Amino acid sequence: MIKDITLGQYFPMNSVVHKLDPRLKLLFVTSFIVMVFLSNNFISLAFCFLVTALVIAISKIPLKTVLKGLKPIILIVVITSILQIAYNDGGITLVDVWKIKITSGGVLTAVFMALRISLLIVMSTMLTYTTSPTSLTNGLDRIFAPFKKIGLDFHTITMIMTIALRFIPTLIEEVDKIMSAQKSRGANFEQGSIIKRAKALIPLFIPLLFNSIRRAYELANAMTCRCYNGGQGKTTMNALKFSKRDYLGLLAVILVIISIILLNIYCGEYNAEFTFGLAI
Amino acid sequence: MAIIKFENVTFRYESDEEGVVLAPAVKDFSLSIEKGEFVAILGHNGSGKSTLAKLANGLLLPEKGRVLVDGMDTINEEDDIKIKQTVGVVFQNPDNQIVATIVEEDVAFGPENLGIEPTEIRRRVDNALKTVGMYEYRKHGPHKLSGGQKQRVAIAGIIAMEPRCIILDEPTAMLDPIGRRDVMNAIKRLNRELGITVVFITHYMEEAVEADRIVVMDDSRLVMDGTPKEVFADADKIRSIGLDVPQTCQLADMLRNDGIKLKNDLLSIDELVENIDDLLKGQ
Repeated sequence: MIKDITLGQYFPMNSVVHKLDPRLKLLFVTSFIVMVFLSNNFISLAFCFLVTALVIAISKIPLKTVLKGLKPIILIVVITSILQIAYNDGGITLVDVWKIKITSGGVLTAVFMALRISLLIVMSTMLTYTTSPTSLTNGLDRIFAPFKKIGLDFHTITMIMTIALRFIPTLIEEVDKIMSAQKSRGANFEQGSIIKRAKALIPLFIPLLFNSIRRAYELANAMTCRCYNGGQGKTTMNALKFSKRDYLGLLAVILVIISIILLNIYCGEYNAEFTFGLAI
Repeated sequence: MAIIKFENVTFRYESDEEGVVLAPAVKDFSLSIEKGEFVAILGHNGSGKSTLAKLANGLLLPEKGRVLVDGMDTINEEDDIKIKQTVGVVFQNPDNQIVATIVEEDVAFGPENLGIEPTEIRRRVDNALKTVGMYEYRKHGPHKLSGGQKQRVAIAGIIAMEPRCIILDEPTAMLDPIGRRDVMNAIKRLNRELGITVVFITHYMEEAVEADRIVVMDDSRLVMDGTPKEVFADADKIRSIGLDVPQTCQLADMLRNDGIKLKNDLLSIDELVENIDDLLKGQ
């Protein structure tokens, strides 16, 4: 049961987005994040929203699953919005009771920030939903390969990521085993105060840590036996290749970025009073 | 020329505590393993047999004496990759040998490290997986496989480097009987069909019987060396060093003690049955 957890958040589907080269997707998501931050008016933000909706639609991932990814950051969005409302006093005053003063500028900035953060999160989760961890690390490995010439070795980092992903299920299984062993000897993980429960976890983590170090040692031996020497002269069986689909994708990405930049330049910074007046 | 040659090798581990000198794990050990052989190394826990596996491909270096792999001394660092490519080692716990999150990518790990062309890697990976009977699982995650399947993937990972010798350090110790049988069959195929030299470290007598030659270790030294029939003929000596003889030998021994005149070199169940049958017919 515990074995069936998904690695990362990969959501396998047969869609174009899933099949795209991970490098392209990484490029797109990073530039999209920058673009969302650069967006300074509602029109370009609306465009970003449209792009996100389109990506979700093409990827065939159910909307419910995508929205679930937003759950952990709802609190952050709410707090940011409240802070914006509290500190921004531009525009028309809407409410002015006792010490609370809400202005149209505050409300609009709050909405703007909330949208911005949500778009960022949704697009990043779309990356992990549509790309398997292996192909993601593979993509990262390839993107950063040229940096080796200037002494930055990203191979080590991607190797660490691969191994971490590989051992997540193994360690979960081990936690399960140790827990059962401790429970059978009367350990109680579920009752008592938080401090008591935290203390009960110590006999769980010490053997886990000890075993992990032993595992690491054995894995190092096994890797040495398979001629691992830190990735020097390493080739890849499934070499990433840009296909026709990826070139089309690249074109789309470039168009999206250019559109956002143009929208930013021509629509200008949003004017709180003007937009609010328009809304009424 | 021997594929692996131990010449008066002595090795001791360093102690964690300062000033404490441990007894050698391998003492004045000499052994020559020829190309194409299927050798089983027997010994109880702590007899030094696992250390032997690590000495054979340069994971550990001898304190005294030398280890030659296809004529190359393991002490020479420039031959290190070549030595590891010639002699592959499979360890006991399959979980701690698998690197990647997908079976075929794990098998490709060795050849990728060697810098082989992608198309050639593909061919080797497919062949290796077919040899161990795991081809249909090539796209699976290793955590969803059974112990025996994982161990066969680990073996495929070594075969994909196309070594001439494979050392297996108790590869079946953590497996259930079915997993053990599947792994054993895969190992036999490596030796019989691909002609790879196999050194099989175990403490299961029934598995050791399958080998062409058995080397018995006790207290860091080599104590017996011969064909399974020769080694198990001396059941008393085997027992004196804390090992069991195969069940067929045990039964034959008991019958002999009761005065039944069985032959001295019975190992397989069939041989024993035949011999008893002959005796019954003779009466």
